[in-house]
Amino acid sequence: MKKRVTLTFPKRSVQMPVTYRLAKDFNVAANIIRAQVAPNQIGKLVLELSGDIDQLDAAIDWMRSQDIGVSFSNREILIDEEICVHCGLCTGVCPTEALSLDPQTFKLVFTRSRCIVCEQCIPTCPVQAISTNL
Amino acid sequence: MRTIADINDKINRHCVVVWTIEELKARVVEAGVTQAATEVDVVTTGTFEPMESSGAILNLGHTDPPIKIRQCWLDGVPAYSGFGAVDLYLGATQVAESSDGEEMRERGGGYVIQDLIAGKPVHLRAVGQVTDCYPRASFETTITRDTINQFYLFNPRNLYQNFIVGVNGGDRPLFTYLGPLQPRLGNAVYSNPGAIAPLFNDPDLNLIGIGTRIFLGGGIGYVAWEGTQHFPLQKRLPNRTPIGPAATLALIGDAKQMDARWVRGCYFKSYGPSLMLGVGIPLPVLNEEVVARCAVQDQDLVAPIVDFSIPRRVRPIFGLVSYAQLKSGRIGIDGKSVRVAPLASIYLSRQVAIELKQWIEAGKFLLSEPVAPIPANQTFLSQDAWGSQIAID
Repeated sequence: MKKRVTLTFPKRSVQMPVTYRLAKDFNVAANIIRAQVAPNQIGKLVLELSGDIDQLDAAIDWMRSQDIGVSFSNREILIDEEICVHCGLCTGVCPTEALSLDPQTFKLVFTRSRCIVCEQCIPTCPVQAISTNL
Repeated sequence: MRTIADINDKINRHCVVVWTIEELKARVVEAGVTQAATEVDVVTTGTFEPMESSGAILNLGHTDPPIKIRQCWLDGVPAYSGFGAVDLYLGATQVAESSDGEEMRERGGGYVIQDLIAGKPVHLRAVGQVTDCYPRASFETTITRDTINQFYLFNPRNLYQNFIVGVNGGDRPLFTYLGPLQPRLGNAVYSNPGAIAPLFNDPDLNLIGIGTRIFLGGGIGYVAWEGTQHFPLQKRLPNRTPIGPAATLALIGDAKQMDARWVRGCYFKSYGPSLMLGVGIPLPVLNEEVVARCAVQDQDLVAPIVDFSIPRRVRPIFGLVSYAQLKSGRIGIDGKSVRVAPLASIYLSRQVAIELKQWIEAGKFLLSEPVAPIPANQTFLSQDAWGSQIAID
């Protein structure tokens, strides 16, 4: 099975070869979706883990025992209301119509449940009001 | 029916009746043109959209010893300095350079203009030409809008009267001044807010001329001249509105009074930086004709659908589409339903009209008589690849 997880590394764990250990010790394949890792900073890694269900659970338990934060909450698109100018340019590239303009007010409406986090809206936004939570 | 002097007198006596353009359109539907014209003195229009042919004039004030600036960077964005010694022109689409001269395409003049208007400090680096009267060779400092002598926007082309709808009929994504256009008609973008836009409501520019006082970026500005690429001879519908890009205006206004809410730096991916600007124009209800023109609705206005996959000056078009269809969010092209998004903020365009209405009601803004008309008969010359052509018709 597959599980998508967000890992948060304390500074001292950044040196640890986590994906190697996942593969070697638990036979879990880790596909890196996003990463933000630098020396002496808290690191973040979004992984899609695939493997046997028991081994996945064991791998996650092991990571937690190493003080690595494991969260199952998915990435989300964030819209900064202070920056957004409600131009609506993002609505044209959103494949699921999670982003739309209210037909009366023409303010931007974000229907989070429809969002598949394809991130096409992020570079489209001319005022950089859209980001992900990583 | 009314003169601008009558209206200003009412503004001063705080008994003027001001409606936003949408209030007027609704009233005309309800009560007709004649009745509405008797009730209202001023109608306010507004838009908020990217206007890349914009920029700021800065006069720094002289240094001691003085400098004749020949090269200058504001937060890394080059500003033109080939005129007066400490006069600068900072263009909205000018791309920033890093200290080693590399282009930083995601940052440009529009952002620096926004930062200055927001009161933020901006780093200035200047190189001078040493002369007997200007002995200084270089100058480096941090400026804010309050520490420079003068700071005003002077925008060669703002307020397009109508524009186009961009699509991409090709097979690779395109990055344009209308934002990303996805291949095989993946999306469409229009950039004019339609029936609420200032110049759709005075299609022949009978009310707006040189010297017309306006709302510019949250401060008071003026119509300075016709805009670049002003093309009043564009084909028009019987309601006098053009079927594509037509009249434009050059605008000027004191940036020290402006508000960064209405002046926003922006960046179009793989195209470059620009500036989004809020502009509002008051239309005096001098007679019924004014109201009849202002009553125009989105279904009465059209724009051409232009295929950006042909990289030529004259691109093929897929026909005309009404603003009512555009604002519905979907248009049909070649039997295909295509999602269409605006680039102008219709929400903030309305807010500009509301804010200008409040200024006039509060007596803070008087209308001005134009001092000269904007030309109504002007041909449009282009540079062609094979020699120049002079229009003789």
